[in-house]
Amino acid sequence: MKYLSTAILKVTLILCFTGIAFAQDQCYTCHQALGDKPATMYKKDIHFAKGISCASCHGGDSKKEEMEAAMDPATGFKGVPTGDEVSKTCATCHADAEKMKTLGSTLPTTQWEHLQSSVHGKLSVSGKENIVQCTTCHSVHDIVSVKNPTSPVYPLNAVKTCTKCHADASFMKTYNPSLPVDQFEKYRTSVHGTLNGKGDPKAAECASCHGSHDIRSAKDAKSKVYAANLPATCSSCHSDAEYMKGYNIPTDQHANFSKSVHGIALLEKHDIAAPACNDCHGNHGAMPPGVESISKVCGTCHALNADLFSSSPHKKAFDERKLPECETCHGNHDISPASKSLLGVSNDAVCSKCHSEQENPKGFTVARMMRTMIDSLETLEQTASGLIDEAEQKGMEVSESKFKLRDAHQARLQSRTAVHSFNEEKFREVVTKGLTVAHEVGTEGKAAVDEFYFRRWGLGVATLIITIVGISLYLMIRRIERRQSLSKTKTQ
Amino acid sequence: MKKLLTKYYSWIDERVHLEDLVHFMGKKYVPIHRHSVWYYFGGVSLFLFIIQVITGIMLLLYYKGSEELAFESIQFIISKVEFGWLIRSIHSWAANLFVLAAMIHMFSVYFEKAYRKPREITWLTGMLMFFLALGFGFSGYLLPWNELAFFATKVGTDIAGVVPGIGEPILLFLRAGEDVTGATLSRFFGFHVAVFPGIFTVLLGIHLVLVQRQGMSEPHGFNPNEGNGEKTMPFFPNFLLRDLLLWLIVLNLLAILAVFFPWELGKKADAFAPAPAGIKPEWYFMFMFQTLKLIPAKIWFMDGEVIGILTFGAAGALWMFVPFWDRKSSKGEKNRLINYLGIFAVIYIIILTILGWIL
Repeated sequence: MKYLSTAILKVTLILCFTGIAFAQDQCYTCHQALGDKPATMYKKDIHFAKGISCASCHGGDSKKEEMEAAMDPATGFKGVPTGDEVSKTCATCHADAEKMKTLGSTLPTTQWEHLQSSVHGKLSVSGKENIVQCTTCHSVHDIVSVKNPTSPVYPLNAVKTCTKCHADASFMKTYNPSLPVDQFEKYRTSVHGTLNGKGDPKAAECASCHGSHDIRSAKDAKSKVYAANLPATCSSCHSDAEYMKGYNIPTDQHANFSKSVHGIALLEKHDIAAPACNDCHGNHGAMPPGVESISKVCGTCHALNADLFSSSPHKKAFDERKLPECETCHGNHDISPASKSLLGVSNDAVCSKCHSEQENPKGFTVARMMRTMIDSLETLEQTASGLIDEAEQKGMEVSESKFKLRDAHQARLQSRTAVHSFNEEKFREVVTKGLTVAHEVGTEGKAAVDEFYFRRWGLGVATLIITIVGISLYLMIRRIERRQSLSKTKTQ
Repeated sequence: MKKLLTKYYSWIDERVHLEDLVHFMGKKYVPIHRHSVWYYFGGVSLFLFIIQVITGIMLLLYYKGSEELAFESIQFIISKVEFGWLIRSIHSWAANLFVLAAMIHMFSVYFEKAYRKPREITWLTGMLMFFLALGFGFSGYLLPWNELAFFATKVGTDIAGVVPGIGEPILLFLRAGEDVTGATLSRFFGFHVAVFPGIFTVLLGIHLVLVQRQGMSEPHGFNPNEGNGEKTMPFFPNFLLRDLLLWLIVLNLLAILAVFFPWELGKKADAFAPAPAGIKPEWYFMFMFQTLKLIPAKIWFMDGEVIGILTFGAAGALWMFVPFWDRKSSKGEKNRLINYLGIFAVIYIIILTILGWIL
């Protein structure tokens, strides 16, 4: 009760003060009397409520009753600001922390600075001003708080505000012809757009993801929607259990994604080719992919796997059982690197979830065969690689075999893809190719290692022969010299 | 067996009078003194040259002297051709040992003053052969067309190009153009297998004929006939058999080096790749390379590099013509200056070579 009376007192004082202030504002008095539209609109403006006079933006002396005196350029009258002067005029207060504090505002004072460095702060096609001014989005003379449902930047109105330009193909192509102009249509099909359309101000709108004053190109590493930054942007709502209360969806996606093969590639290895949230869910039309469409979504990158899966017997079986395609074996946000442990009939293998020896012996046999073959290829490739390394360390020339070993490795990678055909014959064909190459390389590697030892033995034998010949030669020299010495003695 | 050999010997002797040659060689004596051991290095150099010729011809059967195929052909030789690895490694190792043996031979002749009258021509032909040996090394180094050889040749020919006046034409001649390319490889190949061996064979012929004709040089004051204990040894068979024994040891050393330290091939040359770090020339060029690296960029008004090259040129010429300006030795007098200069040269080469490897 005490707080309520204090609040009423404050509001009354502000209104009285505003009334007194504007009673002394000759600009407002005259323009309102004339039925001037801006003056009429200004009554609702937050700046009016804060006692900011017309002269604050338009210049001049608002205390002078005479029009000529009030609008005398000598008093700083500048009329209607145009071009970049508009934003600069706003910035005189909004970029000045002291002034804003005096006016009782808690708004940040970096908007103008952010706007300047944003994609909207670039020079417009006229070459005279920036593309966007404050008034482009916030309107003029009827500016209200962003929390006010009548504000053009209120969450439920912001989409339409942005759409004014972004859905205008002829306008947009003057700046970025490759930028789509159907974001709004897509947005309305998304979960976010649907909720927003139903009047939920918490549902994400343009500014929720792109930011407001600091909007940057999606290719800009500082952008909130840059691939590497996007998971954090999405998680600012989706990982907030309090915020997401009532939407009935989990809030651990970001935590799971960060640990996944995609998350590690994107967030730790900074590989922006790795998928972020929008690559699977869409961006403006964001929505979880349906059960049948998962292989299509994953297939945008994993094309071969998706193709093989679509023509495999699993496609029909999964559809009938309403099993989400890739997700059933690989998971969704927490996809870990696909290892061979997924394959086979052991307890940790995903095949064994559906294929048991009793109920589905055919699938069980194929799964076991695939695992055995992939294991054999891996073992043979490792053995061949070890032999080649050993031969190389021993100084043998094995570059050709080493090059050939890549084919075996390639075949092993292909076999991992070929698994998705779930076809014994196709899989066997790929693995057999790898096994043949790995066997060849292994034989060459072993021959090179054997050759190394052969060289050592050969050297030993050659040294022995040379030593015997050398000793014989030495004995021969001694014999000759002894004979020469004897014959010399006889001669003397 | 002995009978059979005697039969063959008699058959040849009947036709070409081998007996005369054996008689000539039997009359030839090698002085025995405390520096006699250095006499063997001439024979070792000859042996290594023969090995180079034999292994070189064997490599030639498979080597392809073009930019596209040179590297691959060596790769083929060392991996597919039976004992190709051995032949290639022996050729590379023998090349280095050949330069080393020739260098020791040259210095021993210098310190013994064996170049003095009447052996001036023997010394000159020897020196020319030594320069050719360096040429063999430089041209052969490029033939595998690997990264190291490519950039070392680039640096080496760049240095030659610095010589005032004639440097530029020499560079263009050596490279067969502005840059080291396949044309340079063809040119170096031609020099390595045709031009140099041809000239070398002629010089070697003159050198050996002169050695046989004039006999081994004796040190100052050596006189075996005065009964002062100074002895000689018949060239045939005593010295020749000792030579053969040493050749066997060198052959074994080559086999050990080839097996335990096979000559590496490295990466194929790529003209567009950056030069690998730490490019160094072959060890026998290292002292000159290191000198040019250490010499200041400018000395008075001249480029330091130019002064370095001209100094080496002048020193080489002075060294080569030593029989003509060392009058004292020819007269049988002692010349200490020659010894001091020789010692300085040996120390300089050793120190700068070591610096080249550690810096």
